[in-house]
Amino acid sequence: MNTGPTLERFRRMLEMRHFDEACLEGVPGFEIHGELHTGIGQEAIGAGMAESLRPGDAVVSTHRNHYHALAKGVALRPLLAEIFEKETGLCRGRGGHMHPFDPATNFSATGIVGASLPVALGYAYAYRLRGTDDVAIGVTGDGGVNTGGFHETLNMAGAWKLPLVVLVENNLYGISVPIEAVSATATLAERAAAYGAWGRKVDGTDPDTVADAFAEAVTHARSGRGPALLEATCFRFRGHFEGDHDNYRPREEKQRIRRDHDPLTLYRAKLTAAGVADQATLDALAAQGKAAMAALLAEVRADAQPEAAGALRYRFVEEA
Amino acid sequence: MTATAAPPPARDALNVSQTISEALAIEMQRDERVLLLGEDVARNGGVFGCTRGLLERFGEDRVRDTPISEMGFTGMAVGLAMAGFRPVVEIMFVDFIGVCLEQVYNAIAKIPYMSGGGYRMPVVIKTAGGLIGSAAQHSQCLWGLFAHLPGLQVVAPSTPFDYRGLMASAVETDNPVVYIEHKGLLLKKGRDFRNQVPVPEARYKVPIGKARVVRPGGDVSLVTLSAGVEHALEAAEVLAAEGIDVDVIDLRSVVPLDMETVTQSVTRTGRLLVVDEDYLSFGLTGEVITRTIEALGPSALQAVARHAVPDVPIPAARSLEQAVVPGAGSIAAAVRRLVA
Repeated sequence: MNTGPTLERFRRMLEMRHFDEACLEGVPGFEIHGELHTGIGQEAIGAGMAESLRPGDAVVSTHRNHYHALAKGVALRPLLAEIFEKETGLCRGRGGHMHPFDPATNFSATGIVGASLPVALGYAYAYRLRGTDDVAIGVTGDGGVNTGGFHETLNMAGAWKLPLVVLVENNLYGISVPIEAVSATATLAERAAAYGAWGRKVDGTDPDTVADAFAEAVTHARSGRGPALLEATCFRFRGHFEGDHDNYRPREEKQRIRRDHDPLTLYRAKLTAAGVADQATLDALAAQGKAAMAALLAEVRADAQPEAAGALRYRFVEEA
Repeated sequence: MTATAAPPPARDALNVSQTISEALAIEMQRDERVLLLGEDVARNGGVFGCTRGLLERFGEDRVRDTPISEMGFTGMAVGLAMAGFRPVVEIMFVDFIGVCLEQVYNAIAKIPYMSGGGYRMPVVIKTAGGLIGSAAQHSQCLWGLFAHLPGLQVVAPSTPFDYRGLMASAVETDNPVVYIEHKGLLLKKGRDFRNQVPVPEARYKVPIGKARVVRPGGDVSLVTLSAGVEHALEAAEVLAAEGIDVDVIDLRSVVPLDMETVTQSVTRTGRLLVVDEDYLSFGLTGEVITRTIEALGPSALQAVARHAVPDVPIPAARSLEQAVVPGAGSIAAAVRRLVA
């Protein structure tokens, strides 16, 4: 299957980029007063996921989760409000950027590396029990593949042929540690063989490539043939979190990444070469998207923070 | 020759494991969202027999033998709960919690709060604690550990009646519950308990968070839970012969902690001894005493003491084990010191 390029995928990537750029604006003034991990540079993966996901599917994401949430259809406003620590946020300001939970779209995340995968396995088991063809997507980075939970999850999913897709975003670094320095296997996708899983490694900077491979992985899992392990290579443009000095990557490497591996720049070239749109059309789309995000940010910034009196609410159901 | 079914055992011949299995069967029967995950829970019916017969009755989808992957299957419970199921996860020995505490305290305990009430976590972590002569890695209680982590209800029953009724409540509530059995009680028959309460066949619930005065007395308030209740009752009998009248309170749950029952007792006796098979420091004993003082003021207490495992791993040798774990003899001695 070779799909794309499409304006829709470009539009999705733009939205993900603009969303994270809006988040960056909350850092200097401490509107977001803790860690912030953006997905800038990794948007092609989010855009590639979006078209294969159905409302009933579940996505369990990581600390770097905004673009996965958008791919799953989480509403922009409550998500941005949650990240900006507002009462109007998805979780009433209790979760924050690393812990968004959206029952309406079956989207959740965890701030603990690798801990997403067992949770996704639970969704997969639930779908098996219900006899639906929904699938669960567990997202992890290259850091999470070396946790015990990665092995436990894929082993159980393989043993019981559960509808699970493990999506590994390999951005080459677990904070400062290069994956090749800590992986026994040359690729992460080849580990699929140990679990009887479908496995593939793809270029995660091209949304068409991701979309095609992700569609195949999801189809495999939906069809009852057991888990799939998709490794998508990509580049993290910024530090691990905002404030990370990122001295572990040489300046030249970071410059090269931004110059040569920006999924938006690459996709612009692809769209124009294929005659889908000209630069002026793409520029106009980008300008519209940026303006819309700026308007949303202004709105969210005006929302109130949660009231201190409610700080203990929601621990137990009696308090909800 | 006519085959006749063996008559069912008398109700008071059931041991604690059998009553737990009965409770789980009742809950699984009445709510098809309830399912069981854990090591050796299906084919073997649990290493202590707490899930015996459930596989045959409910099938392997709902009674699932897992591999030795606690992080994996405890995390599964999180996804299952978010997808609308009500998993009961068996961690065979509470001592094994170290390999999966991540999913218990960072996910199960926190998701209701982190999601702003968006998700509930109707999960029961069912696990065996307590002394069984198996030394440091298979004898801990650890309820104080779970109680320290916000978001978990923690129960530790003492009688077959409470094991049944608290399991019903644990499965039925939408709050996550850590249900800690005592290995020393699991194979004990109902009729062999000092603290005897008949276990009816029909479903009933024991509310989570309500302590019980097991033996009324006027001289000393003795607060404990789990197997400590049997030891306390044994000690109280000895002390009664010496003219010391002990009020024995079974907390039944650590979270919520029923301080009303405790303070009512202390108001009458003025003397408080807290007995705990968990570790001494930063735990249940200090918490009960502090809350009592906060509620009644320091002048309400003429005497106060705590008796728990003195911050040491549980030793292997019986002589050493008996030296550090509260038993009837050491509890009686602690009461005598308190009233001296």
